[in-house]
Amino acid sequence: MPVEILMPALSPTMEEGTLSKWLVKEGDTVSPGDLLAEIETDKATMEVEAVDEGTVGKLLVDEGTEGVPVNTPIAMLIAEGEDATAVVSAPSATPTPPVASAVPEVVAVVVSTSEVAADPDIPAGTEFVKITVREALRDAMAEEMRRDESVFVMGEEVAHYQGAYKVTQGLLDEFGEARVVDTPITEHGFAGLGVGAAFGGLRPIVEFMTFNFAMQAIDQIINSAAKTLYMSGGQMGCPIVFRGPNGAASRVAAQHSQDYSSWYAHVPGLKVVAPWSAADAKALLKAAIRDPNPVIFLENELLYGKSYDVPVLDDYVLPIGRARVVREGADVTIVSYSRGMEHALEAANALATEGLSAEVIDLRTLRPLDTATVVASVKKTNRCVTVEECWPVCGIGSEISAVLVAEAFDYLDAPVTRVTAKDVPLPYAANLEKLALPGSVDVIEAARAVCYRS
Amino acid sequence: MPQQNMIQALNAAQDILLERDPNVVIFGEDTGYFGGVFRATDGLQAKHGLQRVFDSPITEAGIIAMAIGMGANGLRPIAEIQFSDYIFPGFDQIISELSRLRYRSAGQYTAPVTVRSPWGGGIRGGQTHSMSPEAFFTHIPGIKVVVPSTPHDAKGLLISAVEDDDPVIFFEPKRLYNGPFDGDHEAAAKSWAQHSGGDVPDGHYTVPLGKAKVVRAGKDASIITYGTMVHVALAAVAKSGIDAEIIDLRTLAPVDLDTITWSVEKTGKCVIVHEAPKTSGFGAELSAAIQENCFYHLEAPITRVTGWDTPYPHAHEWEYFPSQARIINALQHVMKV
Repeated sequence: MPVEILMPALSPTMEEGTLSKWLVKEGDTVSPGDLLAEIETDKATMEVEAVDEGTVGKLLVDEGTEGVPVNTPIAMLIAEGEDATAVVSAPSATPTPPVASAVPEVVAVVVSTSEVAADPDIPAGTEFVKITVREALRDAMAEEMRRDESVFVMGEEVAHYQGAYKVTQGLLDEFGEARVVDTPITEHGFAGLGVGAAFGGLRPIVEFMTFNFAMQAIDQIINSAAKTLYMSGGQMGCPIVFRGPNGAASRVAAQHSQDYSSWYAHVPGLKVVAPWSAADAKALLKAAIRDPNPVIFLENELLYGKSYDVPVLDDYVLPIGRARVVREGADVTIVSYSRGMEHALEAANALATEGLSAEVIDLRTLRPLDTATVVASVKKTNRCVTVEECWPVCGIGSEISAVLVAEAFDYLDAPVTRVTAKDVPLPYAANLEKLALPGSVDVIEAARAVCYRS
Repeated sequence: MPQQNMIQALNAAQDILLERDPNVVIFGEDTGYFGGVFRATDGLQAKHGLQRVFDSPITEAGIIAMAIGMGANGLRPIAEIQFSDYIFPGFDQIISELSRLRYRSAGQYTAPVTVRSPWGGGIRGGQTHSMSPEAFFTHIPGIKVVVPSTPHDAKGLLISAVEDDDPVIFFEPKRLYNGPFDGDHEAAAKSWAQHSGGDVPDGHYTVPLGKAKVVRAGKDASIITYGTMVHVALAAVAKSGIDAEIIDLRTLAPVDLDTITWSVEKTGKCVIVHEAPKTSGFGAELSAAIQENCFYHLEAPITRVTGWDTPYPHAHEWEYFPSQARIINALQHVMKV
């Protein structure tokens, strides 16, 4: 079957781009990894690679075309024996297999509200509005900046560019350059400035373009921000939020894909929040900004554009340190957070069709960890699967497993089983990336195993 | 057999490595002229020259970065980070570059770099000179993590680490440099001269990476530990009346799961001991892996004895440092469940 090659997105916010140059012509044979074309936006230029092998049957967009919307078919690839002329008349309605696109398919999780337990923190009768995680984070910052003039935002491209991922959109217009500050490209420098500002009485929100770059600043985070309240005998604290995207996105390779959850969760003096839904992102970011301690706020690039119901409340704040039972069940407890929740809920839906009732817990905060909620659930279900995009060794699942084996030992009917990323740097190649990251299939298999179903 | 303390053993290992392989170089803050703040490189610059043993500026990111470049181009550097608490400015270099070089280049490049660093507490070093940051590194694919507990193992493991073609983080329990420390801080300091671990053969020998050692055989429970806590555990077991087996991991990554599993399947009970804070510490990983591998043999909850979830205290060091009493309590707990 002919395979459509789609206009890729260079970033989650990209809507269209210029197809500046074709690097193949009709009739060329290509193998996975071969360069097909150059794509350009105002921000970057990227080459599109072939995912499948085949022959270039038809180029559908001329080179030099501007304003090509993301996901528009730009070329057709045909297999051996297929006729290029058939491609031209191929009905566009033909469903294409997900592997065919140049952009890795991100499977949208459809979780109907009836499957998700009502949030006990939201009063009955509250009105909801559907907004993206990106907007929820911005709203949280804007509300807190209106409420407290000591709150300010800084980071690379947070002001004039409105954020590398557009999370700070509109903040410069409303709050001005004194409170929405573009920094030079020096994580060590601006994290240090933020820590100093917090020591001096301000409440900085420091955005890292991604948490991968925060490794440059981790000495400031651990040795300065996390330890000072303790070292000063309580005389000087550090009310600061370090936020930004964490974990894997789409094909950004080993140095842009690490999940730092368990690292920060190991550090005394820090709080670590990693929300999944837009409502939690908003309510917990507000709590993080108000918290008198340094808070690591781990977002997920692939969730930024996802929409969720957010309660319409004047001041919706949730306490840090409380997990939520998102779906009730009886046979197995699935514990996750951030994007892992998508895999967990997808698996729970699938398991239900096999007669297995999974309880799904969203940790929301990774430090302090709400172990009471997890232990109570496992005492009921007697089995536990943890789901995360961290590496396996010393991951969040390791800590949960250790807590359960210490506190729920006599209730466990099966080993606590960890679903994690593979123990390798995240590969760039699309097929390997897919194999390295956990998905709902892994969760389903783990849940079946702990329930002794093959 | 000659008796050496851990500093002398590490110094001897580096001397032998410099002697045997012209590609070995040593550098770090004060490692050259001064011979290291703990004297681990004492005399090496005078003997091997400025080209082989030298001082770096105070820039941990720079030290690691330079070692990676040297390693990728054929040298075999030993980089010293003066205290493991100072390793954070070099994190990005260690994780983004050092640990991934072989993987990213599909095996075209490796970086045979050994990062040595004094580690752990018990020396009144306060918050920024006492950390045990091993869990950060055991989480990272591509690097090995070693913690010796005797001069004999320190020398053999350091030689293995430097001769290994991949990066190794070598944490040295600084409280053990001058003698075995069993946690009793009021007792007179002991010397390695009276301890079998202080028997250090002359010349080149190796202790293999990735192999744990049973330092006390027992049948009632397994204590899994490493570094300074090996000696605290030995003293605790001697007083407890419980016949506990003690396993000194020696290498944390890759961890010797075979030896751990063999022991826990035999005893059915397990206590994990380390100095680092509990939450998301290496003990969490050990517990998770042990219950995955030994679930049907476990007769009691796996119990962790660790540092508290606070920065390392200056004034309350001995309330933080896991004591013999806490290990005995944990043993009694798993025995009575």
